[in-house]
Parts: sequence; C-alpha cells; structure tokens
Amino acid sequence: MPMRRYSVEEVVDAVVIGTGAGGAPLLARLARAGLKAVALEAGQHWAASRDFATDERSQRKLFWTDERLSAGQDPVPFGSNNSGVGVGGSTLHYTAYVPRPQPDDFQLFTEFGVGVDWPIGYADLEPYYEELEEFLGVSGPSSYPWGKARRSAYALPPLPLNGAAQLMQRGCDQLGIRTSPAPNAALSGPYFQEGVGWRAACTNRGFCQAGCTTGAKASMDVTYIPLAIHYGAEIRAESFATRLELDPAGRISSVIYDHHGVEQRQKCRYVFLCAGAIETPRLLLINNLGNSSMQVGQNFMVHTGMQVWGQFAEDVRPYKGIPGALISEDTHRPEKVDFAGGYLLQSIGVMPVTYATQLARGRGYWGEALTRCMRGYNHTAGINILGDCLPYPGNYLELSGEMDARGLPKPRIHFSFGENERRLTAHAEKIMREIWRLAGATDIWSFNRGPHTIGTCRMGHDGAQAVVNSEGKSFDIPNLYIADNSIFPSALSANPALTIMALSLRIADRFLATIQ
Amino acid sequence: MRDDHYPPGTVTALLETDWVTEPTRQVLQARLLPLPAAPRFFEPKTFALLDAVSKLLVPQPPPVQFVDLAARLDAALLADVGKGWRYDGLPPDKEAFTIGLQGVEESSMLLFNQGFITLAESEQITVLTAVQNGLAPGTTWHYLPAQRFFEELLAAFVELYYAHPLGQEAIGVVAMADKQGWRQIGLDSLETQEPLALKQQTYGP
Repeated sequence: MPMRRYSVEEVVDAVVIGTGAGGAPLLARLARAGLKAVALEAGQHWAASRDFATDERSQRKLFWTDERLSAGQDPVPFGSNNSGVGVGGSTLHYTAYVPRPQPDDFQLFTEFGVGVDWPIGYADLEPYYEELEEFLGVSGPSSYPWGKARRSAYALPPLPLNGAAQLMQRGCDQLGIRTSPAPNAALSGPYFQEGVGWRAACTNRGFCQAGCTTGAKASMDVTYIPLAIHYGAEIRAESFATRLELDPAGRISSVIYDHHGVEQRQKCRYVFLCAGAIETPRLLLINNLGNSSMQVGQNFMVHTGMQVWGQFAEDVRPYKGIPGALISEDTHRPEKVDFAGGYLLQSIGVMPVTYATQLARGRGYWGEALTRCMRGYNHTAGINILGDCLPYPGNYLELSGEMDARGLPKPRIHFSFGENERRLTAHAEKIMREIWRLAGATDIWSFNRGPHTIGTCRMGHDGAQAVVNSEGKSFDIPNLYIADNSIFPSALSANPALTIMALSLRIADRFLATIQ
Repeated sequence: MRDDHYPPGTVTALLETDWVTEPTRQVLQARLLPLPAAPRFFEPKTFALLDAVSKLLVPQPPPVQFVDLAARLDAALLADVGKGWRYDGLPPDKEAFTIGLQGVEESSMLLFNQGFITLAESEQITVLTAVQNGLAPGTTWHYLPAQRFFEELLAAFVELYYAHPLGQEAIGVVAMADKQGWRQIGLDSLETQEPLALKQQTYGP
C-alpha cells in the first residue's frame, strides 16, 4: 500500500520522534483516530529478507553507533543490544522476550521503602498487555504459573525449547524451581492481522538479536509500522531530530530535523518524543526544554542482568531456537533475602561473536585460553536474570563537552551498581551456578552486565520531581509527550519492551481522549 | 573443559549452497577476501607491532586457515566504524590504539630492553599480561588506562576473528546455514549441514 505523505509546510497533528516500541504503537493509534501523523526515524527503513544477513558484524547496522561516553564504576556498553536504530528501533534486535511485570513491580517503594512507586499500576496497563499479546501474536504457555491470573490465553502455543532451555529445566527440576516455556513475541504458527497481513511462523533461527529475516518476530517494522501506514501515517526514515522550536506561548511549533545533511522543519500541533532513555533526554537537554524539575537525565537505570555460562557434554549449538525459551519467576520475591525487589530467570542461547566478546571482556581470556574455550561454544548454554535496579543520584546522563559529527554534544552516562543490585546479583549467581552444576555443566562462569536503558525522564504525580505526568505529558510544555523507556520510574523485574508498548498505547488513548 | 576441533572447509563449502540466504552469502564471501597487506591507517612500524600482538591474542595455529586480523583492524579504524560507546577515560579508538601500541613498545623496552617484535614469545606474553593487569611500566600508562586499552584491543580482534567465516569454521559454527530454518534444536540434535567435532586423534601436530 502506498504511504501517505504530508508537506513540511502543513501543520500536521503529531510528529512522533522514534519508531521503536515507544513510537510505533502510538503512531498507529493516532493515525487510526484520523490524525495527520508523521514519524521521524534516524535510521533506515530496512526490508529484512533483502537487507539482513545471518551475521552479527554486518547486522551492527541495527545498533545505535553514535558514540556515547560510559562513566562510573560499572560503565554501560552501548551500541549492542540496548539501543537500536532504523524503522522499528530496538525491537529490530530485541529477543522478543515478553513476560508481563507483576502488580507489585509498580509499587517498589510501598513494598520495600526504596525506589519509587509508579503513578499508575498494573491494572492501568493490563488491558494493553492483553491487546498487545493478541496483536503481536505472542507465543506462550497455556497456563502461566506466576503473577496475577491471566484473563486471556496467549495468542499462540509456546515456541519449542532449545538445548539451553532443556538444560535449565533439568537443573531447575532437581532444585525444585518451577519453570515454564517463556512468552515470546515471535510466532509459533502463521498469524494474520488486519492492516498488517500474514506473518510466517518462526523458523528457529537463533539470531533474533541480529534482526529477524522472516518477519516472525514482532518487531515494530512488521507490526505497528505497517498498521500505522495502513491508517495514513507517514514514516520519514533517515531523519534525525535536532531541535524543537517553541512559539511565543511556549508550545512546540515545529520539529527541526536533519535529512541527508539538509535541515528540515516540520510544523506540528503535538510532539511525541519516543527516542529512548538516552536520545530522549539528550534532545531535551540540548534544547534546554522540559526540565524545570531538573530531572531530565537523572535516575538512569539498567536491569540487573548477570549471565552464567556452562559447558555441557551434550551438543547444544546455541545459535538455534528462540534464545530465551524458558522462564522461571520463582525468584520474583525470594524469601529471607537482604535486598529489595527480585528477578526472573531465563535460559539463553547466544550468538558466537557475542559470546566470544564476553569471554574477552568479562573473563579477560586471550591466547589459547580463549580459542580453546570458543572451541567449546557448540556445547555452551546460559542462564540469565532480569531483575530490578534502583535509581541513585550518581547514575545519570549529562551532555559532555565533546561534539559528534553533527556538532551536537555526545552524552556521558554515569552508572554504578548499588548495594541492592550487588546483593540481588549475588543471590542470583548462587542459584544459577547451582542450576548449572545440577544440569551437568563444567567450566561455569559468570558475566555481570546491565542490559537495557531506563529512566532519565521519570513520570510521576509531582512536576517538581518528575518530567512527565502519569499520561506521559510534559509538566512544562503543554503539547509535548514522552512515550518510551525514559519515563519508567523504576526498572521492573521484567523485560521492558512489552511495557514500553503498553505505555505507548495508553498515552495515545489518554491524549486522544483529551483532544476529542 | 572441552577441546573440540572441527573439519576444515565446512563454512566455505556451505557458503556455495542453498543452505545460505543470498544476503548472508554476499556478506560472508566478501569477508573471505584478503585485505591489502600494507596498512593504511597505522604506520608500518606500528602495524608490525599490531600484527605480532594479534597473533598472541588470537593464535591461529595450522590447520586452521589464517585470518589477517591486524589488516582488518587497520581497515576498520580507517573506515571509522564506531561501536556506539567508549570508556569515558579513553580517547577515541584511533587515538587509543595508536597510543596504546606505543605503550606496549615502551613497556617492552623497559622490561626487556628490546622492541616487542624482537622478543621471545614468552617475553611478549609477559609484556601483554602486564598491560592487561595494569602493571606494565611506562609513562604512556600514566594517561592511558592500560587495562581498558587492552580490553578494547582484545575485544576488537576477537570480534573480527569470530565474525570471520574461517574463525567460525574453527569452532564448528554454521549458524549462517539457516535458510531453511532449524528443526532439530534440542540437545544432541544436529541437522545435516552441522559438522561433528573430529575425534581427538584426527587433528593436532
């Protein structure tokens, strides 16, 4: 279907900056309501079957590779697996692991007296989780053992278990830890959606983090983006937003963006900033906007995400199957512990370059130690946690004095794990090592990491302490909304993509209700 | 720990077949082509040092076919392929690698009174281990964090090597042969295009 086009001179209803999990669902919603909506995307609009190779190095084109400076005691590596570029954003390279958060995740302060509560709760997002799981075609178990009882079944049966999942199941069975096939936003069977068409079933390529070539994975480019185009939205790829121009009344009147080196100015009534927890605050700080709370860039979080690897006698071939095939949430609120929050456990497959790089960076292996360990790659399996992470004053994003190729300041991100994360991770490491030992692993080792980018434009009830309200609306600029992982007040002990999408849909619905 | 070896030629042969999609074939066959031997980013002297370091960090003894890692890093730096971040205490990659290699040479002179490439292998390993552990002598390391530099250089070589079809062949990886997808994904379930590890006695010196 041909895409509708709007003129830069025309005052469009909405400019959406970013086309990932934050921007794409909202864009489709606004377009469906009849609004003239234009999305700006810094990266290209790929055709996966033509443009994507089963190759980690060339697929780095899906990662945001503009340089960021990583500071603090636990500097965060960017540019792989936590920030995407291209129509679809980070969903182009997410593993599509989509467990819902549990209701208590939204009330960390009430439960533990640390961190903050969300200004909305599980009940506010539940209908959106249901809608998303149906629309994306989430594959999951017929009954899910943890959290609030589900009101509806997953759209499709679960994806098959790969070697890592079988091994984790074996170890967990012996420890008495319950497991379940995980919910994944990749199709276990062919699936049809109005406005999108048929998507084919997953073929068990384990290269989800290097881009899905078949369209089975529910990245935005094969779900909400075609839906948005179907309803009349325009996608402008290779368009990098640089400035937000205000009218005398303090409303944004146009968005300035760079397209192939030429500056463009799109007039608009509303702006939805969905560029992720690094580029969203960076754009606001560069423009000195929306920051009367002084919270833009603050409260930067990751997830606790330690991985524990082991080698097995069995052939695993960890490049096959959906990487996170198995889940356990028995550790969501573990008893007799010295930390707040909790975590989930997942089995993980891994691509070879990713694994080798971890051996180099995490284990410091080189020479024969490295090449020998890599000769055992085909027998390697991992378990990984995804757990909470508290905000701390010392963890934040700021603009550095160093300019990028566009002449804009590079962001510097300070991050150090705190005591709560160290205790949670130590608890998890012990369990993961025990699971692997019982499953028969040798050469067990751990790689600590902090996946995902969260916080930096916190939502809340109070404009003195938050950047946006519970509906994503800026406290300072009446026609600016933010819908992405930057508005999360706390990290949640579940992978963020599903909740980013749920917030995106909710923010769109609330916005539409106010203008009608 | 396991020490599997795989038959040579598996990946290069697969790239010619219908197990591999056209975009994957194009990328990997292009990567198989050798690069010009002469450096374009590094000075020849620094490049010789880089080459010696690369062979210690990622040894490629026969029968594994050699991948020219130093030339690939030279080309990557020339192309300025960013990776999206850097440690706050390090200068940009081009500068960090150039200065760090000077540091390796400086440490080598201070420890053994000889340039790095003329050292015996055991001495070279001593120098690199000292750099990795932040214990190498030299004024260079007063302003360039040695451990961070070492980690970056190692990670760069490791990525270049295991992204190369020959590097993958050495570890029996045929992830690229996925055009038909994978049906046998459980433990000990291989498909016809997946190579079996060689028996111990069929490889080695």
